[in-house]
Amino acid sequence: MNVFKIISIFLLFCSQSLFAQKVVHYELYVKDTLVKYAGKEKRAIAVNGQIPMPTLTFAEGDTAEIVVHNQLKESTSLHWHGVFLPNKEDGVPWLTQEPIKPGATFIYRFPIIQHGTHWYHSHSGLQEQIGMYGSFVMKKRTDDKTFRKGLDDLPTVPIILSEWSNLNPNNIHRMLHNANDWAAIKKSATQSYAEAIKEGHFKTKLTNEWKRMLAMDVSDVYYDKILINGSNSTDLKAVDGSTLKAGDKVRLRISNGGASSYFWLRYAGGKMTVVANDGNDVEPVEVDRLIIAVSETYDIVVSIPDEGVAYEFLATTEDRTQSASYFIGDGIKQLISPLPRLKYFEGMKMMNDMMKMNGDLDDMGMNMSLNQMDMNVVMYPEITGDVKSKQDHSEHDMENDPNRYNANALGDIVTLNYAMLKSPYNTSLPRNVPVKELKFTLSGNMNRYVWSMDNKVLSETDKIPVKKGEVLRITIYNNSMMRHPMHLHGFDFRVINGKGEKSPLKNVLDIMPMETDTIEFLANEEGDWFFHCHILYHMMSGMNRVFAVGEYNNPYLPNKKQAYNALQKESNMPHFMTQNDFATNGNDGEAMVQNARLSLGTEWRLGYSSMHGYEVETHFGRYIGKMQWLMPFVGFDWRYRKMGIDEHETNLFGQKNEKDTRRAFSIGFMYTLPMLVNFQAEVYHDGIVRLSLMREDIPVSKKLRAGFMINTDMEYMAELKYVINKNLGIRTHYDSDMGLGLGLSLNY
Amino acid sequence: MKLVSKILVAITALLSSANSFAQIKNAKTETVKIYGNCGMCKARIEKAGNRKNIANVTWDEETKKASIQYDLSKTNQDEILKRIALAGHDNEKYLAPDNVYAQLPECCLYKRELKVNSKSKVAMVMKKEHSNHSETELVGRVATIKSQHLNAVIEGYFSVKDALVKSDALASMQRAAGLLKAIKAVEMTKLSADEHTAWMKVMKDLELDAQRIAGSKDIAKQRTTFALLSKNMYELVKTSGQDKPIYYQHCPMYNNGKGANWLSKESAIRNPYYGAKMMTCGSTIETLD
Repeated sequence: MNVFKIISIFLLFCSQSLFAQKVVHYELYVKDTLVKYAGKEKRAIAVNGQIPMPTLTFAEGDTAEIVVHNQLKESTSLHWHGVFLPNKEDGVPWLTQEPIKPGATFIYRFPIIQHGTHWYHSHSGLQEQIGMYGSFVMKKRTDDKTFRKGLDDLPTVPIILSEWSNLNPNNIHRMLHNANDWAAIKKSATQSYAEAIKEGHFKTKLTNEWKRMLAMDVSDVYYDKILINGSNSTDLKAVDGSTLKAGDKVRLRISNGGASSYFWLRYAGGKMTVVANDGNDVEPVEVDRLIIAVSETYDIVVSIPDEGVAYEFLATTEDRTQSASYFIGDGIKQLISPLPRLKYFEGMKMMNDMMKMNGDLDDMGMNMSLNQMDMNVVMYPEITGDVKSKQDHSEHDMENDPNRYNANALGDIVTLNYAMLKSPYNTSLPRNVPVKELKFTLSGNMNRYVWSMDNKVLSETDKIPVKKGEVLRITIYNNSMMRHPMHLHGFDFRVINGKGEKSPLKNVLDIMPMETDTIEFLANEEGDWFFHCHILYHMMSGMNRVFAVGEYNNPYLPNKKQAYNALQKESNMPHFMTQNDFATNGNDGEAMVQNARLSLGTEWRLGYSSMHGYEVETHFGRYIGKMQWLMPFVGFDWRYRKMGIDEHETNLFGQKNEKDTRRAFSIGFMYTLPMLVNFQAEVYHDGIVRLSLMREDIPVSKKLRAGFMINTDMEYMAELKYVINKNLGIRTHYDSDMGLGLGLSLNY
Repeated sequence: MKLVSKILVAITALLSSANSFAQIKNAKTETVKIYGNCGMCKARIEKAGNRKNIANVTWDEETKKASIQYDLSKTNQDEILKRIALAGHDNEKYLAPDNVYAQLPECCLYKRELKVNSKSKVAMVMKKEHSNHSETELVGRVATIKSQHLNAVIEGYFSVKDALVKSDALASMQRAAGLLKAIKAVEMTKLSADEHTAWMKVMKDLELDAQRIAGSKDIAKQRTTFALLSKNMYELVKTSGQDKPIYYQHCPMYNNGKGANWLSKESAIRNPYYGAKMMTCGSTIETLD
């Protein structure tokens, strides 16, 4: 008996050591490069000379040893997305390690204790946008108990999706914060008044602005090219050296390495079978299409129906402006039809209905969750019909139809949602451990591009302490107008989706506006784990939290406090904007530096003679509240002039101001009124009061913007601007001080 | 004289070709086969392929060959042929998406020789099933033979209904035209006595309604007529037996709350009067079997 025990222990030991022995070693050289993906030569970052970064392949039980050589002029890092590892190997600069300095080498080393499709990317700044993403595949061992014949032994192809913009990502980020609508113009998604009237949606547009919303798209950034494994179109004629033929099945290991794009995935050769999600097996489910959120992974099995035909696998951005193709099979190419253009004004109408006057969202009692109800279906012609076949249904009580946003009930097309995912295994957590309940409300402000949780950005919050061994149950409600793919480092969580003990495991959960979802996981690995929105520009705007599990001493970060300060600072960087109109009657312009809350701005009106006058106003203020409609400020005005063409020297309140040279301090506030009109009230140290109303950038037509200003000093201004490109416009305006002017308006 | 005119022709030809060449730089010209039938196809193919100063496509209706001229530095044959296939026309490199092909006007529905593979396979499978069917289920067939002569009409009605469910006015028109054909093709002598009586009663109205739907692009008008058509169809289907149940369904809201009915093969509600706007509004009021 004893002998038997000893032998079995010995055997166990043997097999374990057998698995643990193998070290898989990779050397990665990170270097600047030039690429020409969309007509122009631009800077990108290549690893070992390639974009995407090389696919790293391991088997469960291996040890990964990855040496990173930073040959950039800036620091870098690599994060292993969805991989279980000791916290110090997680690759988040200032949270789990110091940034890898230019010229330095860093070694990541960790045991591979899971299997599945994952990926890796830079966690430094916006490097992920310009090439630093790659597939990270951990194979299941053939003797694994969970090995699924017919699925886990299929030929596989790693696929990583990404987008490319010819704009520098720092500039994209800056333009987002300044509500520059050039991306909307490029996508024909300005949603201007002229377009609204043409489509019979004038009232919709009016209501939208009344509720203080800017035209909204399903995505914020315009990209020039979509890439699958670094190419816009790829032919896959053979896998592992054998040519594909009719009846063959291929398993695609798909990761969305895009910085901010969701992709619709569709296949010309029939239904697709989803077999895994975020690296975790799921019960196979057949669908016509699915949307892959930023940073998610899906394993999909497709088959080749006919000999001599290559079937298109098409990834289309959620805004449907761009796509990339992957042709699977050997022969003539069978295309799939592109997704039709979105019905933007239907979306706007839907948003109007959901938005309360105070900026909160109202789900009208629908209890939305798990992507089952997609409000965006109102914009999808393939499900809700064409724009042209619009009809009057105003007398109908849509609220009675429980399925009006349920894509699968409305159309013949089966779209995957999270409620359809089911783990093949029991994933329940131990019952005898304490549970910590947390609630988060995802919050945001589209106009100023501030994204937060519970209306706090990372720089306004401390780490969230968690005891090691606790179960964390997190309920998340999305009260913002955009969807957010929330990603947890270091763990897989269970998604409570009605599948009971077979709830699926994920590490990214996409949460649509108004949805409430619950996730839970056992916090059994010590360290500081990042929890954040994986849309790169949301993350960099502060939509992050840190779970500090246990008392972890990270050898790479001896001064944790200082490191956390650095992390907070990086997620709330100031952004700069300026514009000036070089007009026939003078210069009109402004410059601003802002972060999530603070704003330092100065405006000027400089005439060409002292009769027209010179005037500069500077304000320093802080935005208050979730919607940031209110900004109290302190200011300083300077003016010099010799009485101009406008003779008003007494203001509406009878206060007199006769000085031609004026220096005045002020305090006041700005408030955004319905219709996006800015109301500004200001009182100067000499008692003079000034109230003003102003509205900028009224979208008259696709490229025409109007604006006006009027104040109690009896000054007024009206303007029209034609947008030529993202930095240039032609502007005409009439100003009570300076008269009529025509000029070239430059903005940055 | 003859010589002079020949020279003139040659010169004009040269000049004109030089002219068209001048538009596209780094030009390369290739000839490829593109599938299509008629003048409408020609317009569609060329529009899809052409890009100002970059690509110029000329398609010949007779030979089904297109001469493609393009700027080598800016595009390639692949891109042009892909655009043409996405417009519905199979060619050497690409097969059109099935749903795009299906939406081509009738005269453009060319024979898809390049897709012969899958087509023949499907046909064979169907044939096989058919032969099995006739051998083993003869008895069943006799039982349902009663309504067979009206089957085309009933199916035609359902296809119009499905188009309205999708709020697709164009498809409704086309399918109503198909329904009209089916109505006209009914051989009254082969109907049972009950069916015959019912048919005589509604035939004229059915014809008129189908004609009206086929003749209107306005989906609102189509739907108004469809309400009448549905009533008459109900009278007809009621008398003739069905091998599968047909559901008589009711939308309470249509026509300012007066309501309207329709027939469906499925018990699930898919409202043809509002389509996606009110897809599941309504209820089944009678099951006919």
